[in-house]
Amino acid sequence: MELQDFSHVRAILEHYPPERRFLLAILQDIQKHYNYIPRASLEMVRDYLDVPLSKLYSMATFYKALSLKPKGKHVIKVCDGTACHIKSSQVIIDEIKKVLNIVPGTTTGDGKFSLETVNCLGSCAVSPVMVIDDRFYGRVAPSMVRDILAEYGRLENERA
Amino acid sequence: MEIIIDGKKCEAQYGEYVLNVARRNGIQIPALCHYDALPGQATCRLCIVEVEEGGRKKVVTSCVFPVTGEMQVFTNSEKIQRMRKNIIRLLSARAPNNEFIKKLRQEYGLLPETRFSGDDKENCILCGLCVRACDETGISAISTVNRGIEKKVSTPFDEASEACIGCGACAFVCPTGAIKMLDENGIRHLWNKDFELVRCEKCGEYFATREHIEYMKKKYGEDKCCSFCEKCRKRIAGEKMAASYRK
Repeated sequence: MELQDFSHVRAILEHYPPERRFLLAILQDIQKHYNYIPRASLEMVRDYLDVPLSKLYSMATFYKALSLKPKGKHVIKVCDGTACHIKSSQVIIDEIKKVLNIVPGTTTGDGKFSLETVNCLGSCAVSPVMVIDDRFYGRVAPSMVRDILAEYGRLENERA
Repeated sequence: MEIIIDGKKCEAQYGEYVLNVARRNGIQIPALCHYDALPGQATCRLCIVEVEEGGRKKVVTSCVFPVTGEMQVFTNSEKIQRMRKNIIRLLSARAPNNEFIKKLRQEYGLLPETRFSGDDKENCILCGLCVRACDETGISAISTVNRGIEKKVSTPFDEASEACIGCGACAFVCPTGAIKMLDENGIRHLWNKDFELVRCEKCGEYFATREHIEYMKKKYGEDKCCSFCEKCRKRIAGEKMAASYRK
């Protein structure tokens, strides 16, 4: 995995002046492009900004938006905020678990889906809410989960 | 200016922290994350006191609360006692078997805990003093990692850090002895890394790691430092002083 081409990291870095205040923006750009923060890129950021590696690692592990492990092609966010929780978001999560065979915070073996829970998406009126990539799904019922996921391609990880 | 701490008049300077003023005047306020050379952590919360300014009372952490005018400080009021007990219980829930915290429990007469339980092997209270020490030395090999209940202090990727020089400042300042540093047979083990220890040129005792000495030489100049241990340095300085008096 570390054999990837990191030339784009260089392009991202050159987009910003070498000042520490751009650190988070740089990490976000790397996350966006690679779907995760490759270790080699952290070292490139360290050299460019002259920020200790420990501080970069601290930041990369602190923010939920940043990930040191590759995220799936599609990121499923299931809201588990108060309203959604009361509207049985846990059942939706269980259903996704069943269909994709993953727990929140992990990625399917084929790298297609990542599952996350979030604390509120601000759409409590249509709870329970689920977001895949940038698409919203409101009033999700457990029976809808399989069909929604099927829109994103064959569910290879499906349990027999 | 003058402030009153527990009824005692204390001389203080503008901007000085209440904790320092109190300690200088022989009034003890407990604190874990406070170290004189690295002030301003305010993470352990033990040093809370009540401050009365302009007729209003409030609870503040004395290690970061500056003196700005007339004030009265109560370091051991009933309210503070009660709150501090709770803080100790919470710290103790984090590190139940830590000796320092057990001692605090005893001092404050706390009964064995029944409500909170924690990891029996945990000693770190996440005060961040070690990270601060590492940053101040200019090394920054360790940092806090993750957040929330998974937060911990570690090196990047939990591996032996390239940056670490094994100076042991982190272990030295740690108020709960949570950082394991072991010197044996001329090798120092710290943060998953092994360091070669160097002997003092005078007494022959191991006193610092090779990386540490190289770092110091780079920072302060080749001839300025780093051949003798602390004891011998003191002795040499003492002898020099004595010689100058004899003249």
